Amino acid sequence: MLELTGLTAGYHGGTVLHGLDLSVTAGTVHAVVGHNGAGKTTLVHTVAGLMRPSAGTVRLDGREVTGQPAHRIARAGIGLVPQGRRVFAGLTVDEHLRLSYRPPRRGDTERPSVWTPARVTELLPRLGERRGNRGADLSGGEQQMLALARALLGSPRVLLLDEPTEGLAPVLVRQVHELVATLAAEGIAVLLVSPSPAQAVESAGALTVLTSGRTTLRMDGAEARADDTALHAALELAPTAV
Amino acid sequence: MDLLDAHLIPAVDGVAFGLLLFVVAAGLSLAFGTAGVLNLSHGTLYAIGAYTGAELSDGTWGGLALGLAAGTAAACVAGAGLSAATAPLARRGHLAQALLTFGLALIGGDLLIQLFGADELPVRVPEALDSSVMLLGHRYPAYRLCFIVMAVLLAAFGTWVLTRTRMGAAVRAAADDPQMLAATGRNPRAVHTGVLAAAGALAGAAGVLGAPIIGPGPGTSENVLMLSLVVVVLGGLRSLWATFFAAVAVGEVQTLGVSLVPDLAPYLLFAAMAAVLVLRSRFAEPATAHGPEGPAPDPVARLRGHLAGRLRRRPRGTPGTAEAAKASGTAEAPGTAGASGADRAAETAGTDRAGAAPRGYGNRVPKWIGRLPGGTAWRQAAPLLVLLVVLISLPALLDAYSISLAGSALALGLLAVSVTILTGYAGLPTLGQTAPFAVGAYATANLADAGWTVGPVQIVLSALAAAVFSAVVGPAVIRARGTTVLMITLAIGELTGAVVNQLKSVTGGADGLVGFPATRALWGGEGMLEESELYNYALVVAVVAVSVTLLVLRSPAGKLLTGTRGAEARMRASGHPVGRYLLVAHICAGALAGVGGSLMVTVQQYLSPADVGFEIAAFALLAVVIGGTTSVIGALLGAGLIVATRDWVAGSWPGHGPLLLGVLFVATVYVLPRGLAGLRGGNDGGNGRSSGAPAPEDRPPSAPAPNPAGKVSP
Repeated sequence: MLELTGLTAGYHGGTVLHGLDLSVTAGTVHAVVGHNGAGKTTLVHTVAGLMRPSAGTVRLDGREVTGQPAHRIARAGIGLVPQGRRVFAGLTVDEHLRLSYRPPRRGDTERPSVWTPARVTELLPRLGERRGNRGADLSGGEQQMLALARALLGSPRVLLLDEPTEGLAPVLVRQVHELVATLAAEGIAVLLVSPSPAQAVESAGALTVLTSGRTTLRMDGAEARADDTALHAALELAPTAV
Repeated sequence: MDLLDAHLIPAVDGVAFGLLLFVVAAGLSLAFGTAGVLNLSHGTLYAIGAYTGAELSDGTWGGLALGLAAGTAAACVAGAGLSAATAPLARRGHLAQALLTFGLALIGGDLLIQLFGADELPVRVPEALDSSVMLLGHRYPAYRLCFIVMAVLLAAFGTWVLTRTRMGAAVRAAADDPQMLAATGRNPRAVHTGVLAAAGALAGAAGVLGAPIIGPGPGTSENVLMLSLVVVVLGGLRSLWATFFAAVAVGEVQTLGVSLVPDLAPYLLFAAMAAVLVLRSRFAEPATAHGPEGPAPDPVARLRGHLAGRLRRRPRGTPGTAEAAKASGTAEAPGTAGASGADRAAETAGTDRAGAAPRGYGNRVPKWIGRLPGGTAWRQAAPLLVLLVVLISLPALLDAYSISLAGSALALGLLAVSVTILTGYAGLPTLGQTAPFAVGAYATANLADAGWTVGPVQIVLSALAAAVFSAVVGPAVIRARGTTVLMITLAIGELTGAVVNQLKSVTGGADGLVGFPATRALWGGEGMLEESELYNYALVVAVVAVSVTLLVLRSPAGKLLTGTRGAEARMRASGHPVGRYLLVAHICAGALAGVGGSLMVTVQQYLSPADVGFEIAAFALLAVVIGGTTSVIGALLGAGLIVATRDWVAGSWPGHGPLLLGVLFVATVYVLPRGLAGLRGGNDGGNGRSSGAPAPEDRPPSAPAPNPAGKVSP
């Protein structure tokens, strides 16, 4: 579904991602784990089109979307739940839902399923209760739900989740991971980025450890759940961890 | 009741005026708040509508409707064009966009005069409305009542779109986080264009409908721009209601205020604006960061430096700024085969040696070599010396008129240098240095009138007066940052202008001052009348003033200012009283502007309010931007270029001065993103022969650079 080959990207003054290869199949969760500065957010931003890669390709169902502007990539079916939620502070929940909803165009049969505001609020009932509240007035968990709803309403084929449990209470963390598993079961390909292996490992079908922009370990989710020593070893050896 | 009765008509007029301003200012606020464009050509968009409406108005409803459609469409297209023009500048902050739109406003104003003539156009309202109705026992023009209704409808429609529709939600989302808007599949660029087109359409519609209130004429654009800027500043950008109340308040000040307290009316507006700004900056959170006008990354210049580095193999002398040294030092690190050849080239080029050697040999050469005379210091001073030689030889080269222009350019140059100190070093982009400039100018004129004609005395007293003035207004300026500074200083400049126009006993009002005794260069001398004499006097004063400025800026005091601009929070945390530094800088810059004002009076031998008006403030800021914001010599050259364009080139194409200046503004913004100094800086960046990737900028300069292979030891 989502296929990255030789993806290289960076900011002025340095390359952050060094030729990353990665693929996410429809209906599975691929977790990317790494310490601060490993290049996780850069990876997500590059795939979402918020920054341009200096080399490599991003393919969605075999169609290349590398270097296209963010709104094109979003329309192609890649949804983004960014780090820090980034909900629109001045817009109400209802406005978020109406703004993000993209009804399917005729002939557009590639989407796994169509998400409407009604369906999203069914999945995330808390949002339905706070329809009239502005983004800035929501709690952290509610903002996370809203950010997820915003991405879902584009009926994406690929969902990019950048540290979706950051700063949430443990009970909410569990909820988010259950949600992620539900969405993957719907046929969405999920790329989940997380600093901590403990959370990522639960729902992941595949797992990549990112260290200084390079893959240092790749393993199957089930293997990792059975025995996480290799995973922990890979993370503790990471030289960026200080 | 009598009071109410007497002032009913002005009060209703104020509502009409306020609603007109609201519609215009809403567009300005929309463009600034959601598209990030400080559109100084917004008044021109109004003028486009007003001219079109006036041209098509023939006293019928059809004429009004046609005018409304055509004027709105024309301004809407102009707005979309503005979006295309400003979009490439989005990363460069508000200052670049403001200058660009100011240039476009100058060009647009000139074109409108070409098309419609320099006179005010008569506006005919539909005959059915060209009458009076009775309003609580007073006769009142029917059109104005009708206008109030139309403006309310227009405002309500705009508000509805913005707050109740998906399109409006997208606009507000774009203002908040354009990246995330894109991530939901909407093109932020399209929103940018749409917002500016809508802002243009609002201004155009307001222009057509409001033409009978603020008619189309040469001064329309500036008048409308100023008033709507005041509205936006007073109302803030947060809520439409605040903008609405601010607009009606401004409308009432302009109508009811004039009828209640005619003497104070000119001050009311800008005094209110200054008060609100000062209060707001006092109660708002303390500003910790400078605005985007600060040292923002400049991709174009970087690319140019990179390309230059690729093209050039041979090292050149460096003007030796810390940054250039750092960049070249790190770029040196991966140097390989090309290095030794280049070093030999440097050795053979004897004159280049002192400057090039420290870089050529990496960190192997002792530091003292860099400090030898003939090294970087001389190299840096060279352009100044060349400029000085050219300036000294000017009287021999030019005719009398051109020399007097050169003298004015020196005066404007000092003003520009004072703006450089504030904008480039202290990080306070200012449009108000014309205020101390005016204080210095009027002080000198009055001193001369009172018989104090000795030059140095005039200069020192004018500088003192301007410094005192700057000390008084300084606290209002130094608390704010970024665009707010532009607005506060604009208010200060305009207030000063209002005072100048009112205080006739001191300033001569709108007629200005003329016929005061000529200045004597020294005690006992004769009054200077010859152009070349005056020019030489101005040159000596300017050289002394610029030298002192340069010495101060190069001293630790200058470094403290630079540090404050770059990392204010860290400076505070290190125990530096940042506010005091900025105040001192503001006072010194004010004194320098005062010297400039004094010079201008001496050289011109007359003084009019236009010499200290908003245009001069914008010119000074442009001169600084042409020069590259932190370059003193650049500011001087910029001032010279502006005076040459305005008075000399335009002399051969009369009446088109604004057009040429507008082109100069636009060209500067696009072609010289870092000004004239950027040209030099771009070359500097390319000095290190980049044999590999561009050097990472954040590497500390002391990082041990590996000794390049194949290097010949000295």
